[in-house]
Amino acid sequence: MRAFVRRVIDVSGFDASFCLEASNGREALEVLAKEWVDAILTDINMPMMDGEELLRSLAADDLLRSVPTIVISTDATESRMERLLSLGARGYVTKPFAPEDLRAELERTLGEVHV
Amino acid sequence: MSDSLQFVLQQSVEDVLEKMFFIRSLDDALEEPGLPEGDVKAHLTFDGEPSGFLTLRVTREAARSISADFLGAEEGDLNEQQVGEVVCELANMICGSVLSRFESAVTFRLAQPELGEGDEHAEPASGTAGLRALHCVEIGGGNLTVAIHTEPLALRHGAAGAGAA
Repeated sequence: MRAFVRRVIDVSGFDASFCLEASNGREALEVLAKEWVDAILTDINMPMMDGEELLRSLAADDLLRSVPTIVISTDATESRMERLLSLGARGYVTKPFAPEDLRAELERTLGEVHV
Repeated sequence: MSDSLQFVLQQSVEDVLEKMFFIRSLDDALEEPGLPEGDVKAHLTFDGEPSGFLTLRVTREAARSISADFLGAEEGDLNEQQVGEVVCELANMICGSVLSRFESAVTFRLAQPELGEGDEHAEPASGTAGLRALHCVEIGGGNLTVAIHTEPLALRHGAAGAGAA
């Protein structure tokens, strides 16, 4: 999935070479401890630390809570979306998604930050 | 076989293939084909209302073809691990799509898909028929078969002992 998302980011006009990757929430926190990012894209279903736990960790961090996070998940149930948005997610993209869907959500979320 | 689950499964398979793999299945649903040895199989369980499992089998040629589409790579450049990861991701997306459409109000949890596990013809462990659906399509270079089984909701609500004797 990360390779697919990177492709979408690349063809959407963003510079994918600036993308940092992690295979689960714990690795993502390790990356974020060293590097500042403009946005975070995360799946929910991940080993070691899932997306919900990652969102809780981000919300508990004074700096990282300001980074917009978009959840990419197969789960389109309203209860799940509401819970993740309440945990601090700024956007939600349901798999399967068309590339333009992710691009639109990324632009919307980044636009909110920079307005 | 549940007609509603069958319809949802067919919709989900087509939606995932079209949006994420840029593939339209070549034909209407196929009768269950006899898959050759060496096909790639992914299996995952889900927990929620209902719980159950999904098994996806795809011929090796088709697996390489869709992996190349998904990753934007040449088939010859892909290794077995990459192909396996894409097949697992495909199973994960189809399962999530089915459950979101089938029971949109209830949160579910998907296990990590595993390669080469499970049997799409297996009966649920309880021996009691839940819902079942099977969908087979022809895609580039081979066939894709997806089977989903759910356990009866009654088992989730304290009625599991009924008829156990």
